Amino acid sequence: MRGADRIAGAGLLVLAVSFSAGALAHYAYWSPNGPGPAFLPFWLGVVMAVLALLLLVGALRSREPGEDWLPRGEGLRRLAWVLGITIVLVASLNVVGMIVGTVIFLITLMRVLDRHPWPLTLAVAFAVAGFNFLVFTRWLRVPLPVGLLGF
Amino acid sequence: MDFLTNLALGFSVALTPFNLLMAVCGVMLGILIGALPGVGPPSGVALLLPLTFGMDPTSGIIMLAALYAGTMYGGTITAVLINTPGESASVVTCLDGHQMALQGRAGPALGIAAIGSFIAGTVGVVLLMLVSPALARWSLSFGPPETFALMLLGLTTVTLLTGENPVKGYISMVLGLMIAMVGFDIISGDARYAFGIPEMMDGVDFLPVAIGLFGLGEVLAGAEAAKGTPIAQGRYGLRDVMPTAVDWARSRWAIVRGTVLGFAVGILPGAGPTIATFLSYTLEKKVSKRPEEFGHGAIEGVAAPESANNAAATGAMVPMLTLGIPGSATTAIMLGGLMMWGLRPGPLLFEKNPEFVWGLIASQYIANVMLLILSTAFIPLFVRALRVPYGILMPIIILFCITGAYSLKNSVWDVGQMLVFGVLGYAMKKLGYSPAALTLALVLGPLAERALRQSLIISDAGAGIFFMRPISAVLTTAALAAVLVPVVRALVAAYRRRGAARVRAL
Repeated sequence: MRGADRIAGAGLLVLAVSFSAGALAHYAYWSPNGPGPAFLPFWLGVVMAVLALLLLVGALRSREPGEDWLPRGEGLRRLAWVLGITIVLVASLNVVGMIVGTVIFLITLMRVLDRHPWPLTLAVAFAVAGFNFLVFTRWLRVPLPVGLLGF
Repeated sequence: MDFLTNLALGFSVALTPFNLLMAVCGVMLGILIGALPGVGPPSGVALLLPLTFGMDPTSGIIMLAALYAGTMYGGTITAVLINTPGESASVVTCLDGHQMALQGRAGPALGIAAIGSFIAGTVGVVLLMLVSPALARWSLSFGPPETFALMLLGLTTVTLLTGENPVKGYISMVLGLMIAMVGFDIISGDARYAFGIPEMMDGVDFLPVAIGLFGLGEVLAGAEAAKGTPIAQGRYGLRDVMPTAVDWARSRWAIVRGTVLGFAVGILPGAGPTIATFLSYTLEKKVSKRPEEFGHGAIEGVAAPESANNAAATGAMVPMLTLGIPGSATTAIMLGGLMMWGLRPGPLLFEKNPEFVWGLIASQYIANVMLLILSTAFIPLFVRALRVPYGILMPIIILFCITGAYSLKNSVWDVGQMLVFGVLGYAMKKLGYSPAALTLALVLGPLAERALRQSLIISDAGAGIFFMRPISAVLTTAALAAVLVPVVRALVAAYRRRGAARVRAL
């Protein structure tokens, strides 16, 4: 936690300074009829810089390393799988479409993480895909991402 | 008898078959969502919001408000049976609720929570009905300085009250405001911080952010834990959940106190149901003749906070509807929904959209009755739902996050944005930042900026204007006090430490 606070503090400080500087460089701080578009962003950057410094100084002076915040071992493996597959699904949405994507996503996660039996896995995957299709596409008419196959 | 006419109008809206169905669906889904560990009211409302896009706003908000009431109760089931709060407003319920379950009294614990929630919710709606129009009329006189001061107060109190570390709370809030600055400036037309990307010129929509922070973020945090926790065994038939005469005698006044306290806390901008539960538990322990039983299965320790959180959930609707200032993360998301439907919450809502406001109020009565029926009769069903392994629920929730983020504008860009904020939400949760403060700041940011700039334009005394008008002076001072409290507390603590060190050195 101490290490994470140091990194976060430094990162936020850089963000804050560039936010304020960017505001002053590109937008008007004061316009003829009052505060301009850079007014609030500039001061937000200043406040954030102060807060980031407080966080950073506190973390640098702290002597206790604090608890780990990222899981290890099995926990990290599960987290990485879930996040990784979600990213792959989102990145390929426009290719495979939501319905096919749902089926592949559910099968992969249910098999990899907990080794649920195949019949259950397939049943859940197709039931959820079907439910999504019926409720969103048919009933509520909320379009889902469509793949190259057209559904 | 103005409000009787209005209420009749409200019931005529709420009792149409479709709206009635939406209220039932909302309560059912709410109890289920609330019962899932880690998925609380804000995630539930964020995930369900896209479902309501196809409906008209009144049906949509009826469903969301029913859902909110349902999640409040759903969290209780998890708290009592597996000692894991389904949402933060049920943390206190674990203390005595789970002890009761271990003593084989899970039934009465859930029963008294349902009855307390019903009483608190119903009284809350009556108060909501009486207080809101008056508050709306009063706030009609608000100019930009008062509006800004009120938003400032809402932002600082929510930040002060949600996290353990005030610095991290304020960082979350300012980050939210910074994100709110992205996109076209309403006054000058500059596309701020858009980096030439068309999607960013329109600003960062709050819905993908809320779904990411509360939906995906919570799921990722839960993904680490492999196995579920054991469920307390017991019988949950209708007869088993009825509290005994002794239980009832002990809880009666606890429910009354919880209701009043909860509603009062709920109205305050920034202080939501969670704070209300902690305060009411502390209060019960203070006034009880048997304080030593608290933490060992005292039924008052379940009745009071459970009443308080439902009363507070209803109370939080007051500032959202009348002032446009949400009292909690959940109402912040609902407020975002209202704005997406083109309804501008605030004093004028009562005059311009009476069928919406009164339909919502009437449906709250209906939702409370539904909640009582469903929560006592169907407890076994919800207990069974808890047994669905998290490994199956988790991917399904992720799919809902994706569909929800996509459905706003049919854009994969929004899904990517949801993903980014999901990872951010996970890190914020693990590192002690406050996603609630970020969301509230993102929703209020554009409104607050406009109010601030308008105030400074009409002012002859710069920022002094916020102290020269009585209402805004009081609100601004309160907001500044909320900022100063943690600073003073930290200074006092440091001073004491140094004093102690000096004593030791002697």
